[in-house]
Amino acid sequence: MVSDAVTAPVARARRPRTGTAYPRYVAGKAGGAAVSLLAVLVTGFFLFRLIPGDPVKTMTGGRPVSAAQLAEYRREFGLDLPMWEQFTDYCRKALTGDLGTSYQFRAPVIDKITEALPNTLLLTGTAFVLYTALGMFLGTRSAWRHGKLGDKLNTGLALTLYSVPSFWLGLLMIIVFAVGLGPIPGLFPTGGMESGGKEGFAYVLDVAHHLVLPVITLVAVEYGQTLLVTRSALLDEMGSDYLTTARAKGLRDDLVRRRHAVPNALLPTVTLVFVNLGRTVAGVILVETVFSWPGLGGLFYQALSVPDLPLVQGLFLFFASAVIVMNTLADLLYPLLDPRVGR
Amino acid sequence: MTADAAPATPGRLARQRRRQSAARFWRSYRTHRAGMIGLAALVLFALMALTAPLTVGSGVAGVTDAPGAPLEAPSLDFPLGTDRFGRSVLGLVVWGSRVSLLVGLLAAVLSVVIGTVVGVTAGHFKGAYATVLMRITDWFLVMPALVLAIALATVMTRSLGTVILAIGVTSWPTTARLVRAQTLAVESRPYIERAKALGGGHWHIMSRHVLPNVMPLVLAQTTLMISSSVLAEATLAFLGLGDPTVISWGGLLQDAREAGAVSAGDWWYLVPPGIAIALVALAFTLCGRAVESVLNPRLGVAR
Amino acid sequence: MSPQDQHGTRRSHPRSPRHRTARLVAAAGAVALTVSAGLATPLNPAPQRAQAAEGKKTLTVAVAQSVDSLSPFLAVRLLSTSILRLTYEYLTDYDPGDAHPVPGLATSWKPSADKLTWTYTIRSDATWSDGEKVTAKDAAWTFDKMMTDEAAATANGSFVANFRSVSAPSPTQLVIKLKKPQATMTALDVPIVPQHIWKSVKDFSKFNNDKSFPIVGDGPFVLTDYKADSYVRLKANKDFWRGAPKFDELVFKYYKDQDAAVAALRKGEVSFVAGQPALTPAQAASLKGQKDIHVNEGPGRRFYALATNPGAKARNGQKFGDGDPSLLDQRVRNALFMAVDRKAVIDKVFQGHAVEGQGYIPPRFSTYFWKPSASQDLSYDPAKAAQLLDQAGYKKNAAGKRVGKNGKPLNYRVLCHATDPNDKAVGQYLKEWWGKLGIGMTLDCLDNVTDPWLAGKYDLAFDGWSVNPDPDFVLSIHTCGALPATPKDTGATDNFICDKTYDDLYARQLAEYDSAKRADIVKQMESRLYDLGYMNVMAYPNAVEAYRTDQIKSITTMPKAAGNIYGQDGYWSWWSAVPADSGSSSGGSSTGVIVGVVAGVVVLAAAGVFFAMRRRTTADDRE
Repeated sequence: MVSDAVTAPVARARRPRTGTAYPRYVAGKAGGAAVSLLAVLVTGFFLFRLIPGDPVKTMTGGRPVSAAQLAEYRREFGLDLPMWEQFTDYCRKALTGDLGTSYQFRAPVIDKITEALPNTLLLTGTAFVLYTALGMFLGTRSAWRHGKLGDKLNTGLALTLYSVPSFWLGLLMIIVFAVGLGPIPGLFPTGGMESGGKEGFAYVLDVAHHLVLPVITLVAVEYGQTLLVTRSALLDEMGSDYLTTARAKGLRDDLVRRRHAVPNALLPTVTLVFVNLGRTVAGVILVETVFSWPGLGGLFYQALSVPDLPLVQGLFLFFASAVIVMNTLADLLYPLLDPRVGR
Repeated sequence: MTADAAPATPGRLARQRRRQSAARFWRSYRTHRAGMIGLAALVLFALMALTAPLTVGSGVAGVTDAPGAPLEAPSLDFPLGTDRFGRSVLGLVVWGSRVSLLVGLLAAVLSVVIGTVVGVTAGHFKGAYATVLMRITDWFLVMPALVLAIALATVMTRSLGTVILAIGVTSWPTTARLVRAQTLAVESRPYIERAKALGGGHWHIMSRHVLPNVMPLVLAQTTLMISSSVLAEATLAFLGLGDPTVISWGGLLQDAREAGAVSAGDWWYLVPPGIAIALVALAFTLCGRAVESVLNPRLGVAR
Repeated sequence: MSPQDQHGTRRSHPRSPRHRTARLVAAAGAVALTVSAGLATPLNPAPQRAQAAEGKKTLTVAVAQSVDSLSPFLAVRLLSTSILRLTYEYLTDYDPGDAHPVPGLATSWKPSADKLTWTYTIRSDATWSDGEKVTAKDAAWTFDKMMTDEAAATANGSFVANFRSVSAPSPTQLVIKLKKPQATMTALDVPIVPQHIWKSVKDFSKFNNDKSFPIVGDGPFVLTDYKADSYVRLKANKDFWRGAPKFDELVFKYYKDQDAAVAALRKGEVSFVAGQPALTPAQAASLKGQKDIHVNEGPGRRFYALATNPGAKARNGQKFGDGDPSLLDQRVRNALFMAVDRKAVIDKVFQGHAVEGQGYIPPRFSTYFWKPSASQDLSYDPAKAAQLLDQAGYKKNAAGKRVGKNGKPLNYRVLCHATDPNDKAVGQYLKEWWGKLGIGMTLDCLDNVTDPWLAGKYDLAFDGWSVNPDPDFVLSIHTCGALPATPKDTGATDNFICDKTYDDLYARQLAEYDSAKRADIVKQMESRLYDLGYMNVMAYPNAVEAYRTDQIKSITTMPKAAGNIYGQDGYWSWWSAVPADSGSSSGGSSTGVIVGVVAGVVVLAAAGVFFAMRRRTTADDRE
């Protein structure tokens, strides 16, 4: 009991030491992810069972229904089974992609999700690529000129935008750029994803046009974090001896930066980038609401207010699993990107 | 050496040491201009919230005796116009700072307390207990916090307590990880072993040695966490998950939106609460970063 | 993410011209991107016309509510039922003027002498959009399905609950036999569906009618496309028996945010905005006086009331729920309502866009509108309210709080809809008014009020119903018969009112086929309801909506003089809407597209050049 104080802090096997350890590392990470997914499955089931009230009565929306009919519904949705059986049933179905039937839309939950998913992916994907690129680019610049005015302005702006509520920024965007304020004409649509009735390239342009404001909003509130992490990672890296050596060898500055400092500094950033995806998924609920974007976030909020138990549960599972998968990917990529690990 | 010496001396020494390190901390903090600006802003906001009963009074939130007409544009009487009930928006923003700051503060404290307890115990006890705890932490870390918070707020009744709980319960994992890492570092120091050899129990080690050493980190983390809690409170209130009878900044934004202030162009109803949220969040972030860089000089360049 | 820039380095070195070019190209790309995004809107400063390029006249309506189902057997939401009304004709319609029944699919109807058999003559000039004729068989099949298949009765089952049998002896004759007389036989709001399409449906509880378009119907419009939460698209039915609609296309477009919808109207992206349930006072005020926009305000169909829990119970006499016992005293109920300044509610919350509440049925339905007499009127009088409470034995304690029979201060839970801003606003007023009376109040705002409501776990609640031209339904929900059979069932009851006098009157009006006499009985029912104090109508909110006059030249409101447009009892508004004939072709959007295409090409080219440059620089460095 005393002796384990002497042992060094438990070395967290975050990074394999050698190339041969990689498959084992992958297996470990995948196992961890599986455990997490299982935990999500369990939570998804029990958390939403806490919502007070009778789901069947909610489902029938207060319309007159006899006890026999209610029992019939209960049987149909498997709500008459003991909790344990409901749970195993739910797990079995969830694993085969059957997430139940939405109460309010009377359609399979998985259909509602696949219907809204491309829209959300389009919005978050575009924003994600842009803010990651912008954050890394500005972060690199900032770090390279740290302490200078440019750096201060850069980080100052990033911090400020980072502190702004995204929904509020979205509303202001609508007022200024969609409705138009004073001399500024309302150039962009106020909401939605398409005007409808367009085809081919006109359709693509139309969607792009609808994308602009929500994407700008998401980028503005999200790029700050990437910037700051890139910047501090790079600053950490810049203190390293090898960079001084590299410069002493007479290598050009931007080359030193690109070849040595940036790749190393990318490491913590990569992890963040994937964690960010989770944040973006959550953030998108607000932006989708404000811009009437027909995506998962809006669907989630709508499902909660009914509450449409199977839909809420399905979306919850989906969000959480997506983030877990992303994080696992980041973990798997990490050693591949780490130049210090000879592979 | 500890037990048989005069009991006052080690205590006094410790106090003195702490005073000294606090003074050192302050000297170092003072050199961070952004941190000082943030601190000044915070002091202003705190003063505003504390003196609100004197400056605007609780009557500002009353609807039946609202002084103005609904949605009046800014004027001399109402520098920031009136809301949908005819109440002064300036007064409401001042009054709302109390709830917004309180919720932000309590949620952050709750979150940091959970994070610290989990982090310190997981770092101290190790073994299966730590593994399970860190598994849970990891799992919470990957959960989209907002999604979870919304779900929690929906499941429970609408009140300030719910909001605090929903934010606190979903935002602790980062703290737990940081604190655990620090705990491990502290516990590997020789004096901990000495304390153990002298018969110090778990509680003694955790409370007397580990905790004081992780405190600075916890402080920095709390400051940063308040910033995100204020934002989270606004978000939940905006989504209509707050208590509608309580005035808060997020609630004001939700009111403004519901009243149709956005398309009507009633900017005075919409802009001030948002700016207040952003300023407070920014101020806490600036302070948190300054504290962080004082504690971790390697990041000192972050000024 | 271009890592090269020439400022940040510690040792300066000559700027590489290639770098500068790359940066310029990148900047150009960025600008082009911005421009293209901006210019994808039409270049003409005039509001974008909500019309396609070929001069097709499209009427676009901004909506927020999701479609729950497009199956007439399942849909209950306002938007879904409105759309179904446009696609499937009913037996009868309501006159846009005074809402009396007018021919729909049925050209005439007649009850038998014993009041139990109704015979409808079905028109022979109606066709389904796939060319088949509409016959009495379709109607008989629809009703019969609802009577025999529980799932098909989901939405409109109450209409057929009293039917004994339905038959179609000939293609133009429909016979409905009743169990008891029913005065609402000319108000059967049931979409009649084509038997030849629907007979193949297996499970009515799962079939949403949203897979194969166009959907075969016989209304003024044909449903051609639907994308959840994006749009619902309908095209005019040129063969509609009443005459083709003037617009070629009707699109319901989604704006989940009402402000976004209003902004879209200002820009001309949509032709019409109704709001949910109405535009807010601020929005209406800001739209009034705008060029090319008309704000239409008409008397609403809804009443907005404060319902009191009368002690929830089931038909079998079993009591449940936890309503405050003090509310069983009529004096307390009346006192609470007398402390509500209804004029302030109208002036402050609705800002004049509502009418002060009186009887149960809104004044819009003048036949059934009733006003309390001077002696029974519970007008705003806080002093008298305090007196009533004192009389009832709820006196103030030392702290100024009124104390219940159990010795605890009175504190009522008021159930409110979290999605309704009016509930929250009025709630705050109630809290202060009742606070002055010495009564505490907790505003319990929920997204889903159904659960506590059905369980009787509330003291008071914000309540409101849209009233149909035939008031039978809103009257029926306060009868003892509407109570749930046991606490486990869900009844049709609104808030568990059960009163013998009221029930007798209800039975009488339902069997009364003389409309004047029936209206008289309905008014007596309203009087009884008012005195009971379980349903206290505070206001009748107006319908406040707006449309673009440069897109819609004229549109029929209901009632015709100063009525509403969205959510009418019929398809009159969209069927009658006449497009404005100014500048039919919208060259703007094609210009926009061309500019957008050019800009897009520029962006792509710029990106290509940029990356080519980057490659070359890297190659240089490698050497």
